[in-house]
Amino acid sequence: MIHDFTYLKPDSVKEALTMLSEHKDECKVICGGQSLLIVMRQGLLVTDYLIDIKRLKELDYITFDKKAGLKIGATTTHRAIEKSDVVAKHYPVLVAMEGKLASIQVRNWGTFGGNLAHADPAGDPAPVLIALKANIKMGGMNGERVMPLEDFFVDYFETALNKDELVLEVQVPVPEPKTGAAYQKFNLLESDMGVVAVAASVTLNGNGKCKDARIVLGNAGSTPKRVKRAEELLIGKKYDEALFAEAGKIASEDSEPVADIHASEEHRRHLLGVLTKRMLKKAWEKARG
Amino acid sequence: MNKYAVINTHVHNVDGIAKVTGRATYTFDVKLPGMLYGKILRSPHPHAKILNIDASRALKLPGVIGVVTGKDTLGVKQGIWRRYKDLCDEQILPVDKVRYIGEPVAAVAAVTEEIAEQALDLIDVEYEVLPAVFEPLDAIKKDAPEIHEGFERNINVTRHIEWGDVETAFEEADYIREDWFKCGGQAHMCMETRAAVSSYTPEGKLTVYSSTQSPYYMQGLLAGVLGLKEGNIRVISHYVGGGFGGKFELDGAIFCSAVLSMKLFRPVKIVYTREEDFIATKRRTPMYYYVRTGVKKDGTFCAREAKVFTNGGAYTGMGATALYLTGFFHSFPYRWRGYRYDGYRVYTNTLPSTSMRGFGAPQAMFCSEQQIEWIAADLGLDPIEMRRKNGHYPGYEVPGQATIASCGLDQCFDEIQKWIKGKGKLPEGRAIGISACGFMSGGIFNWFDTPYSFSSAVVTINQDGTVELYVGAQEIGQGSNTTMAIICAETLGVKVEDIKVHSGDTDHCPADLGAWGSRQTLMAGNAVKMAAEDAKKQLLEFAQAKMGINIVYDLDIKNRWVHIVARPERGMDYFELVKEALRGKDGQRIVGRGYYTPHRKGMISPAYSYMLQGVEVEIDRETGKIKLIDSLTAHDCGQPINHLGLIGQLEGAFSMAAGYGYLEYMPYEDGKLMNPNLVDYKVIRATEMPEAAVAEIDTYEPEGPYGAKEAGEGLTNPTAAAIGNAIFHALGLQMKECPIRPEMILKALKEKEEKEKEGK
Amino acid sequence: MEKKLLRLTVNGQEYEIYINPKTLLVEVIRDYLGFTGTKRGCDTVSCGACTVIINGMSVKSCSVLAMQAEGAKITTVEGLEDKGKLHPIQKAFLDHGAYQCGFCAPGMLMSAKALLDENPNPTTWEIREGIEGNICRCTGYNSIVRAVEAVAKGNYREEHHE
Repeated sequence: MIHDFTYLKPDSVKEALTMLSEHKDECKVICGGQSLLIVMRQGLLVTDYLIDIKRLKELDYITFDKKAGLKIGATTTHRAIEKSDVVAKHYPVLVAMEGKLASIQVRNWGTFGGNLAHADPAGDPAPVLIALKANIKMGGMNGERVMPLEDFFVDYFETALNKDELVLEVQVPVPEPKTGAAYQKFNLLESDMGVVAVAASVTLNGNGKCKDARIVLGNAGSTPKRVKRAEELLIGKKYDEALFAEAGKIASEDSEPVADIHASEEHRRHLLGVLTKRMLKKAWEKARG
Repeated sequence: MNKYAVINTHVHNVDGIAKVTGRATYTFDVKLPGMLYGKILRSPHPHAKILNIDASRALKLPGVIGVVTGKDTLGVKQGIWRRYKDLCDEQILPVDKVRYIGEPVAAVAAVTEEIAEQALDLIDVEYEVLPAVFEPLDAIKKDAPEIHEGFERNINVTRHIEWGDVETAFEEADYIREDWFKCGGQAHMCMETRAAVSSYTPEGKLTVYSSTQSPYYMQGLLAGVLGLKEGNIRVISHYVGGGFGGKFELDGAIFCSAVLSMKLFRPVKIVYTREEDFIATKRRTPMYYYVRTGVKKDGTFCAREAKVFTNGGAYTGMGATALYLTGFFHSFPYRWRGYRYDGYRVYTNTLPSTSMRGFGAPQAMFCSEQQIEWIAADLGLDPIEMRRKNGHYPGYEVPGQATIASCGLDQCFDEIQKWIKGKGKLPEGRAIGISACGFMSGGIFNWFDTPYSFSSAVVTINQDGTVELYVGAQEIGQGSNTTMAIICAETLGVKVEDIKVHSGDTDHCPADLGAWGSRQTLMAGNAVKMAAEDAKKQLLEFAQAKMGINIVYDLDIKNRWVHIVARPERGMDYFELVKEALRGKDGQRIVGRGYYTPHRKGMISPAYSYMLQGVEVEIDRETGKIKLIDSLTAHDCGQPINHLGLIGQLEGAFSMAAGYGYLEYMPYEDGKLMNPNLVDYKVIRATEMPEAAVAEIDTYEPEGPYGAKEAGEGLTNPTAAAIGNAIFHALGLQMKECPIRPEMILKALKEKEEKEKEGK
Repeated sequence: MEKKLLRLTVNGQEYEIYINPKTLLVEVIRDYLGFTGTKRGCDTVSCGACTVIINGMSVKSCSVLAMQAEGAKITTVEGLEDKGKLHPIQKAFLDHGAYQCGFCAPGMLMSAKALLDENPNPTTWEIREGIEGNICRCTGYNSIVRAVEAVAKGNYREEHHE
């Protein structure tokens, strides 16, 4: 059963931030609630004040600009992103990822910002966004700040947000030419959260050699994790499946997956290796065009 | 060419409109005036003495109306195997000790669900924790804790099936193979969780709305545990959100709501949360199987010996039947010169196991059909032809057990062979696995000790020709109401829309054992046919008189047309006839009665369905992920009655059986279920479900109404084995544990590769 | 706990109720407004039995705070028929036996309707994805897919519904 709370509904971001700074430790923010309500129903989360920002239109937008890149407001739903032409055109991997996130019903109401703020280590958007070099903008009464998304996740279900801050926006830079990205999670049922997941992004130079690479592991530790050792391996190299397998091996070794009933630690490491190899191959092929 | 007017035609379910418009009222929806909400406090320990329960704090919470514990009951040990008192071992609200995590210990009724839930935290229970045991092979050890007094080594039930001279038959074999298997449990996972609303009133009458597969069993069992007469208990179950074998025993929702209501004289509603449904409603029986099989080098089956230990959990439930049926169907559908099965059901401190669609046969087939496939490979024989040469045939007698009347098994082999051939060479990573099986159409053994016919029906014809059909057969989604209406309409010669089916109410419907063991089409169908024939006979008496035809001619009714069989153009309108008949009977409606109990039909069932299923599977050998691509089931259910219903039963059974094969892992740790929710317990969804076509094999079962047999449970039996066999053909792996999970496949692949490296 | 005012439109009818703000939308629909067609089957936003349509989108109503439906237009299974005239998707379900116990049917119908409203010509795979958030334990889904395909093909075209 959900414990009683005082319900607050701000009409603007400014009002929301005022409420947050007033109630700090005694309040929680709800947006789509697709993750939050489950834990509240189980009595695992009790709060005196619930601030509902679902209707803040101010934060519901998807914009793209050839210089600034993609900007997604925090209260934008997953479904809006999934259906966005502009996202499909410039960041098809985001659309693919959204298409396999939970179910249509959850995507219709759940939000991008809410998902990131919830910081489930198995969450789908985070590894993909980190592979795309995304930044996250957050704000409080004292102003706004932007940080790379890979620094935003601190621990299981814990982020760098201060008690009086809201996630405001996700910013994804314009991809460099000859960049390809791919994401895959391993699960038994299509839209389950991944037992493990891998997002990879590869940028090639004019000679078809790797200029830049990002390999991000999902559900392989308390937060999404880049495998920098594996990324370095690829720089300056040509397409080479043995190399991808090698990168996979490193990802296996450098990850910190936790066993549960779905898979042992050993199996997760193995899967991370396989997925890394496959996603690098796919990303590279997309980069080639 | 369908010779029937209604049977096997495309008919909407008679309760379809109610279901697709949201009008259908399930127990989940029932609200009565003055109703209270009940919640159950459950044991956190797998094995413990209950020393004391103090509900005083809970009773002080505003809104709490009452609390009951085992002490508020008669303490009757009940069980669905009523005839065998020693197997009636479950009090539901135990008085002395708890035997599994999740067992009810107390129940609260309050004015809101929320208050009832809060009250649970205010009930103080003092336990003396006892040592517990969780696995059958541990529970039979000498020093294992005793779970039920008087059951040595925790052996709850044993069953022995034997025919022929097994030792000689093994000696005749050229090739003998033995294997150990482990079959998992499975949750029924009905969309509607367990639910009941009980209302006890000062007249001394109890009304129970319950989501059940058998209102009659609920009535009988409640009478026993509450000290009431059956006639003073009314069980109502109009719409049931799934049963699958888990809802024909007394459960905590029914029992606790009844006990609360009898104490408080208010209606009390208890609805299980999904988590409660997982941890505290009985599950499919996990089994350890040892199978030793001997065959001749040409593939003739000689001997089989099986020893099975089942994890019975804390109480018997329907486990005794599952123990027998698994051993019986483990021989199906083949002829064995010598066959021996020894089954041991063992108590453990885990969730009791019971019947679940397939009733022990899915486990039996997982072991038998895979081992047979491996034997065929070991001997270099064609797996279908090897099966065919040993298959049952019409008239075959399973020695001392059953006589097979109709059997379309051979045609099933033809269909699947055709299908496999048509597929040609499969793409990389894909393979087809097959599995044969057979199943019963209802059981013969009267373990409930009922004095009533197993099924009964009453047909009443109103003055306007509409027909009231009263059956005790229970609609749980399988289409029972529609099937009974079809049989009644066909027999009476009218249309389905002329029939109004009354079911799910013990006050108005005859007793019937209910929806389990795939019995209703055959047994209740026979009762309905008999009742409709009785009514028709009475009607035709008037037609004979009215039409004044020669005594050598027969009359019949078809499509509401009463006619001379030899000259169908001569006749009269059914509706006209009914009006005349009424007048002729002093204004009394025509009433027809029917009933059915199997007599002299062997040990198990009056009739058997047969099938062969092929499943095409794709396996990713790097990740172990299994994907179902396609399937075909060649199926002999005698005469199909409800066309849409049959397809639905096949596809639905497949989805559940596939889940048993590769998805529905149900791990326990120290008696605690690790995944009591739908995130971690994997149920197949639309995106994983392949095509599951059916090839109907035409046979005629003499014991069944219009030649019909079961179609719904048998189809749950082959799929786990078929998936296993596909994996065998794709990767050469012999998977001896189900559900088969990706990590298990990779582990087996690794072991195989290492063995091959060593040069074997 | 102070009750809050909630105004919403369900099946074309406006309602005004006072609720504890922690009330879930499914509780408002079932318990306050009496539309018991919509069901509940889990606690983890998994099963989809509670699916309704909010402002044209299929949503699991067990996972929506009722207050968030302020001013919204909601359709439940009861809103599909028009005074006894069944919606094409309901007819298709009847014709194809796309339900058995019926408990998942209301949610399934709403997911199917939302899918077809958004995409009148879905592929078979898109239909499967469209109902992927709804569990059915009885049918194995294929009859439901056939029913939706039949509507998409135009078999029920003579009926006009929004």
